[in-house]
Amino acid sequence: MNSIGKSSVSIVKYFSVILLLLVIISPVYWIFVSSLKPTPELLQVPPTLIPRSLTLEHYYELLKDTNFITYFLNSIYVAMGSSLLVVILTSLAGYSVYRCRYKGRHLFFCMLLAIYIFPRVLLLLSLYPLFAGMALVDNLLSLVITYVGITAPLNVWIMRAFFTSVPTELEDAALVDGASRIQILFKIFFPLAAPGIGAVAINSFLMSYAEYLFASILIVSDQYKTLPVGMAQFLQQYEINWGAIAAGSVLIIIPPLIGFAFVGRYFIKGITAGAIR
Amino acid sequence: MIDKVKTKIQQDPLFGYLLIAPIFIWIAVTLFYPLLRAIYDSFMNIEFMGEEGNFVGFHNYVRLIHDSEFRGSFIRTLIWTGVNVFFQVFVAFFASVILDLEFKGKRFMRIWILLPWIIPVIVLATIWRWMLDPSLGIVNYVLRVTATISSPIPFLGSTDYAMITAILVNTWRWFPFYAVMILAALQIIPTELYEAAKIDGASFFQQFQHITLPSIMPVLVTVILICSLWAANVFDMLWLLTMGGPGTSTQTFPIYIYQKGFQEYKLSQAAAAAVFMFLFLLIYGTIYLRNVTMETE
Repeated sequence: MNSIGKSSVSIVKYFSVILLLLVIISPVYWIFVSSLKPTPELLQVPPTLIPRSLTLEHYYELLKDTNFITYFLNSIYVAMGSSLLVVILTSLAGYSVYRCRYKGRHLFFCMLLAIYIFPRVLLLLSLYPLFAGMALVDNLLSLVITYVGITAPLNVWIMRAFFTSVPTELEDAALVDGASRIQILFKIFFPLAAPGIGAVAINSFLMSYAEYLFASILIVSDQYKTLPVGMAQFLQQYEINWGAIAAGSVLIIIPPLIGFAFVGRYFIKGITAGAIR
Repeated sequence: MIDKVKTKIQQDPLFGYLLIAPIFIWIAVTLFYPLLRAIYDSFMNIEFMGEEGNFVGFHNYVRLIHDSEFRGSFIRTLIWTGVNVFFQVFVAFFASVILDLEFKGKRFMRIWILLPWIIPVIVLATIWRWMLDPSLGIVNYVLRVTATISSPIPFLGSTDYAMITAILVNTWRWFPFYAVMILAALQIIPTELYEAAKIDGASFFQQFQHITLPSIMPVLVTVILICSLWAANVFDMLWLLTMGGPGTSTQTFPIYIYQKGFQEYKLSQAAAAAVFMFLFLLIYGTIYLRNVTMETE
């Protein structure tokens, strides 16, 4: 009796785990196999769950006939630039907020959290004329400037877990040895807080790489379009080329997957440490 | 000696200020300036973006109240946000309970559950538009084969289904994020508590009510707040799935403001709507924090 009860519990357990896995993975599986099916098979009803024949024709078509590579490079440029700047700004600010003591520190931290409330579209309404005045519309720099501003505040929060866990004794010892504070920051503190920096880097990379709202307004010409805006054009056509767009989707996913594979667990540590105080 | 140095480093405010100066300036330019500027613009009558306007007081706000499209988008924002929060937190809770189980590959699952969240929205919109397509989509095919429906449902193309479909897709994207947060709270509940409860003969539901729920309550409070603020702000997902349509059936505040501002170029009206939305979220956030956090503490 007992063993039957136990095994039925474990069946329910594995059933729910597999259900969760299917919910997460099946849409991604579907776009992946769709990108590999030849067009007639792709558009046939009933659809084939496992492709009968495989082809790279959609990938070839996408890379040859569209500006996909340009969009891709623009997105990588914007995402790398923003995440580098965010890492610099937030590690300095994070050290200041979690390690220094001064008036207004708490207020500053609350201000960072208040930025949750800012509707992004409100920011865009005023940033567009501002960038237009500085001749930065249709320039990828405008996107970098905006993305750094939007993502930096919350990333200070993500750094919390890592910055508070570096032992202060090390810094004190270095101070006694006569190291300057800048030296301490770069030689002792930042290397020890590297996982936090990784978490922040991936978070701002993901956001800047995928952002659509600002990119759809601040960029005009095709040569500066980022992936979300470039791909959205394909979706807005009357006859959607599903094969090419599926191939594009698969290619777009690759950089986030690689980045997350390296620092995903630190990112999770960052968001969870913020939640449990 | 060490103590002396320590006090010196901690109490030298200049260094601290110096380190936050760059981010402070950046935020001032990209976040606080736009906010103030939008408030200013909302009191002007800039009918076309780029024009000079005159001060008109609350005229734009009065106009908003008389705009049925604005009132409609207000209601839709409430529905969109409320249902999203409910679904996301509900599904996230169950997912976190599953992830908290002991099973093979749990370490892998606990990280890669975030897959829908790390995939760019444009790809998510593509995937779901492909799967939900009335004639070619697999969802309609499966529903027809299993005889649940007789004719294909235009999930994103009908005013009846577009809102709920978009909510479900958005839930699919976001529930993993909150599941990971709730999971962290579940994991720090000491197992001794459950063991003691079992010895005392507490049922599964009693354990849930008296151990699990109180332990994860602080996280749930945070999650519900973040979730509602973020859901209200969703633009990309809705725009790429439905563009606010068909008709105005999925037009929430961000979509309304975007259309007013960047398709009709009515800057002042868009700014007034955006400021209204900001104030609404601000008041909601303040009341929520004041009442809910007090109750749980």
